[in-house]
Amino acid sequence: MGLDRHPVERYAVWIKNAVQGDLGMAARGGASINSMVKSRLPNSALLAAVAFIIAVPTSLLGGVLAGTRPDTKLDRILSIGSLLAISIPEFIIGVILMMVFATKLGWFPSSSILLPGETILGSPKILVLPTLTITGALFAYILRMARANVIEVMESNYVRTAILKGLSMRRVVFKHVLPNAMIPTITVIANNVGWMFGGIIVVEFVFAYPGIGSLLIMAIDTRDMRMLQSTALVIAAIYAFANLAADLLYGLLNPRVRVGQ
Amino acid sequence: MNASTVRGKSTAVQILVVTLAKITGLVKIPLRTNSGRIGLVIIAVYSITVIFGPWLTPYIPTEYDLDHRFESPSLSHLFGTDHNGRDVLSRVIAGARSIIWISVIGTAMGIFLGTIIGITSGYLGGWFDQIAMRAMDFLLSFPSLLLALLLITIGLQRTALDESWLIIAVIGIAFTPNNSRVIRSAALTIKPLEFVENARLRGEPLYHIVLKEILPNIIPVIGVEASLRLSFALLLTASLGFLGLGVQPPQPDWGLMVNESRSHLALAPWASLAPAFAMGTLVIGVNLFADGIRQSLQLPEDRGQK
Amino acid sequence: MNKEPLLKVEKLSVTFFTPRGTVIAVREASFEVSRGEVLGIVGESGCGKSTAAFAVMGYLPTTAEVGGSISFEGRDISTLSKEDLRELRGNRIAMVYQDPTTSLNPSMKIGLQVKEVISEHLNLDQIDTDNKVVELFESVGLADADQVGDRYPHELSGGMQQRVMIAMALACDPDLLIMDEPTTGLDVTTEATILDLVASLKERVNAGILYVTHNLGVMARVADRVAVMYAGQTVEQSNVKDLYANPKHPYTSGLLSCVPKPPGDGEISSRLKRIPGFVYSSQESDVSSCLFAERCPLADSECTTSAPAVEFFDQNSQVRCIHSDKVEPETWGGVDERISRKDVATPTVLTGHGITHQYGKRRKKYMAFGPDMDLPVRALNKIDFEMPQGKTLGIVGESGSGKSTLARAVVGLIKVQDGSLQLNGNELEKTVENRSNEDKSAIQMVFQNPTASLNPKLKIKKTLIRSLMRFSKLTKQGSEERAAALMEEVGLDPSYLERLPSELSGGEQQRVAIAGAFATNPEIVVADEAVSALDVSVQAQVLGLLEDRQQELGNSYLFITHDLGVVRYVSDEIMVVYAGHIAEYGPSEAVLSSPSHPYTEALLSAAPIPDPTAKPNPLRLEGAVPTMREEFTGCFFASRCPRKLGSICDTEAPPVQKISADDNHVINCHIPFADLTKIQT
Repeated sequence: MGLDRHPVERYAVWIKNAVQGDLGMAARGGASINSMVKSRLPNSALLAAVAFIIAVPTSLLGGVLAGTRPDTKLDRILSIGSLLAISIPEFIIGVILMMVFATKLGWFPSSSILLPGETILGSPKILVLPTLTITGALFAYILRMARANVIEVMESNYVRTAILKGLSMRRVVFKHVLPNAMIPTITVIANNVGWMFGGIIVVEFVFAYPGIGSLLIMAIDTRDMRMLQSTALVIAAIYAFANLAADLLYGLLNPRVRVGQ
Repeated sequence: MNASTVRGKSTAVQILVVTLAKITGLVKIPLRTNSGRIGLVIIAVYSITVIFGPWLTPYIPTEYDLDHRFESPSLSHLFGTDHNGRDVLSRVIAGARSIIWISVIGTAMGIFLGTIIGITSGYLGGWFDQIAMRAMDFLLSFPSLLLALLLITIGLQRTALDESWLIIAVIGIAFTPNNSRVIRSAALTIKPLEFVENARLRGEPLYHIVLKEILPNIIPVIGVEASLRLSFALLLTASLGFLGLGVQPPQPDWGLMVNESRSHLALAPWASLAPAFAMGTLVIGVNLFADGIRQSLQLPEDRGQK
Repeated sequence: MNKEPLLKVEKLSVTFFTPRGTVIAVREASFEVSRGEVLGIVGESGCGKSTAAFAVMGYLPTTAEVGGSISFEGRDISTLSKEDLRELRGNRIAMVYQDPTTSLNPSMKIGLQVKEVISEHLNLDQIDTDNKVVELFESVGLADADQVGDRYPHELSGGMQQRVMIAMALACDPDLLIMDEPTTGLDVTTEATILDLVASLKERVNAGILYVTHNLGVMARVADRVAVMYAGQTVEQSNVKDLYANPKHPYTSGLLSCVPKPPGDGEISSRLKRIPGFVYSSQESDVSSCLFAERCPLADSECTTSAPAVEFFDQNSQVRCIHSDKVEPETWGGVDERISRKDVATPTVLTGHGITHQYGKRRKKYMAFGPDMDLPVRALNKIDFEMPQGKTLGIVGESGSGKSTLARAVVGLIKVQDGSLQLNGNELEKTVENRSNEDKSAIQMVFQNPTASLNPKLKIKKTLIRSLMRFSKLTKQGSEERAAALMEEVGLDPSYLERLPSELSGGEQQRVAIAGAFATNPEIVVADEAVSALDVSVQAQVLGLLEDRQQELGNSYLFITHDLGVVRYVSDEIMVVYAGHIAEYGPSEAVLSSPSHPYTEALLSAAPIPDPTAKPNPLRLEGAVPTMREEFTGCFFASRCPRKLGSICDTEAPPVQKISADDNHVINCHIPFADLTKIQT
């Protein structure tokens, strides 16, 4: 294993191999890190994707509903609710959900451990609580941003123009407010991808969900530095990729960026 | 006692009075709104808990009492006891101390570094700005929890620091990039204003321009940023504690308390719920305080990253 | 004319209840607009004219309380249902706003923005709608009318954006068109073309137009009748010619006599009249007096004890003043003679030679490779000038012409790439940080925006004292006394020293800024649009103050402005700049009279004249100042020149023509000055 060589040299070799797609072997158990990452990454991706697909449209809708009716009852409820949700760490949300839906009601399993040969898609119930936990926090954060952006755009001169053109409120909101309020909101969602990664690590740990996040925590617990480096590298790479995707999306939405100004 | 020491004393008193007046003046800003008022009350309650904590705990927080395990809330144990028979209330009160100190010092560090880098970078521009901002971009390319996990694991192996100091350092490092970006962009809105140019024409030195012309005008932005970051710091510290990388046992830690008690959820839900409730209330208070400043100064919502 | 007017506003009042207190924006405004006429509403900022316009649209925040009545074709706007109001807006009543850039949706193509009004209100099929949009674009004079609809707002200049807004307003052939300061913020040359368009609308459309502006020159050009507003009240109404010739309210008379008039021959012999004080506070709810009484030279005890009633003279003329019969040309004082400095030769204090500056760096797309992304902007190109001691050098030009860059170069706020500045024969360092204390104190600056030029967190005393202690070597006590004296010299009470800038009005803040500039006993004061952000009456006060200071202290001004009236009033010499080049330079009178550089000519012809009988000069400039990223192959003005000779203008830089042997008047143009004289008369 080359333990006789200098740590810096070993690190350099690891980097070289990692770039070529070989993350090396785990310190214990003798499994290759590649295969562990390969088996767990799709699980994390599934969790993130489901949470994202649920949270983004609903939170945007909530943000628009609240933002176009500031200071109404609905706005108050959504604002206070989202403040609560962003103030509570994911692990607490997770534990509370677990307490209510797993321990008390018994609707869903409290842990997401898979037996050998099982897949997530084969037992989708174990996905529910982790997804709900991530969705909750993500929902609240995006909702607050969307609401703030909608309110700001509602006060702009061009929305005044649209209203005084005699357009229906529906058209004002959908054609004038939404496209402009979405541009900065997309940036926020993009920035949140990174934070959601953090959230996923914790949530996977809470529910013992077989994803890359729990692999990372396992690496820390067992002081397996190579595994830690590897999982961190994979997460950072995906994060960078997500940020790039968000930048491209932003350019697509904003005509001013599109023409290169 | 000669005249100069008298004057020295009176200047010191003056400075103290002026500083106090300025702080109360700043605190007045969020107090104009309901959110600010509620936030301040919550923060005040927790501050008292932190300062007088050791005198407020009814039991010794680390003391096992195996005869009274899993006791439900009663007059003798307001929040019940946990799986080792420890008084949950005492542990919550004692736990407030570490998490709040760690988060406050870490945030202060991040704000301090962020303010220095942000203002200087914004005002000077040029190569300094380029290098500083690229360095910040690099740090931003890691999700902050991942950065924290990496730095703490490495720090525990390679340095003599304990978890608390490592978390403080991590919060400081992880939050500096965002702080400096926000403060830099605030400084950039002030820099082209005519009064800054006027100061240059008056021949004012750099430190005067940065400290007297620019800084006072972005204090509200720093205030919002600080309270927002504080709430993130609290969340981060609690999460690290939950993952077992926080304050080490037997010292009570909110995150760890939730983690340890979650296997006994059916038996003693209070042991998890009490620290969770304490945590949630505190962060809500800090967030309300930030909202209060923002609303009364009509600053836009923070678009930064958590 | 017993016909019901199109719009009838009676005793309108609008009060806003805000967390910071009650603001009475409109107290009592009454006016009417009939089909085919333009009613102008004129007044200074904060007098309620825009609020009144938005009240007509039924568009006020929910915290506003509206009194009185607004009836459109006999229907009271306030009784209309939401749906009925929506049916009116954009269709029967349309509006054009002050700032076209922010009033257009940035992420929607402009064609679509116009189209959606038509689809909302008219029953046209797809093809007719598209054709109508093109027609509208043509009718407001947009080039490429069939293509331009595919562009986004940021791809158009401010003038073109405003044309789009007008096209949008005309889309459904409205009965009433409301224009709220539609040319404010646009360059004077663009303003002139928009005003031409508005004037042509009068003939083309059978609508009533309500035109709101603070600019008396613009008002004279577009309005048939004028309503003057002061502190939320309509104080005088009359047809435009009578109003300008025989104002009946002392406020109208005062306003008219404190505007510097742009063209005209000869030296200005009388100083501007000044209306003392500030606009009546909109926070006061007490109306048991004439609101203008405290500033009025005719005010007596009756004015301060009872509110004057509106006096009607005939159908179209009314005034809210009990002394209207006493208003005459001398109301605001007789001729206040100015001492002519024309023939007094003075030594040169500051010389600029070959001043050249570029903003930004040349950048390629991929670091050092690929196509050019950004070329530097050539803001200043070999500018030469001389500033005579105790006199004023005025610099005029459109925005983007480089005039502010020159100001900043002189005071050393930017480091110019090339050229030299000499103060009394000694070379000046380029940036202020490198200059000696003597040089720093010799050149000071007054900025455009008084609110931004004072640090909101520092007491006024602090700023003044710091510069006094540094430059005048005074003790703390000495500088406090001097600061008090400075305040008195700019007409402010020394107690203001203890205040924060936010406690002062805009005019007072500008006085403080002037006191700050004069604290160092400067030889040269650079005034960059120093009166542009101020209301007319305050502008006259500040111009008067600057004039007084110069007479007492003998300093020179480098006076940058876009306002030809102001530049004519203050300048001994004028430099006309375009795209970073000097177009024309010389003694004030010579520059402003024929022969002129075609650019000067175009500026003069575009300047709105506060006289409704003046015939507008038809010479116009299209487009905007070029981006100045490419070097000019020929004349810098060739792309827009209305007098372009031919290919020589595109291929050769213009020669410097010296006009007379007696003075320094030069014109940089290919057209021989004899020909210029001929074509310009």
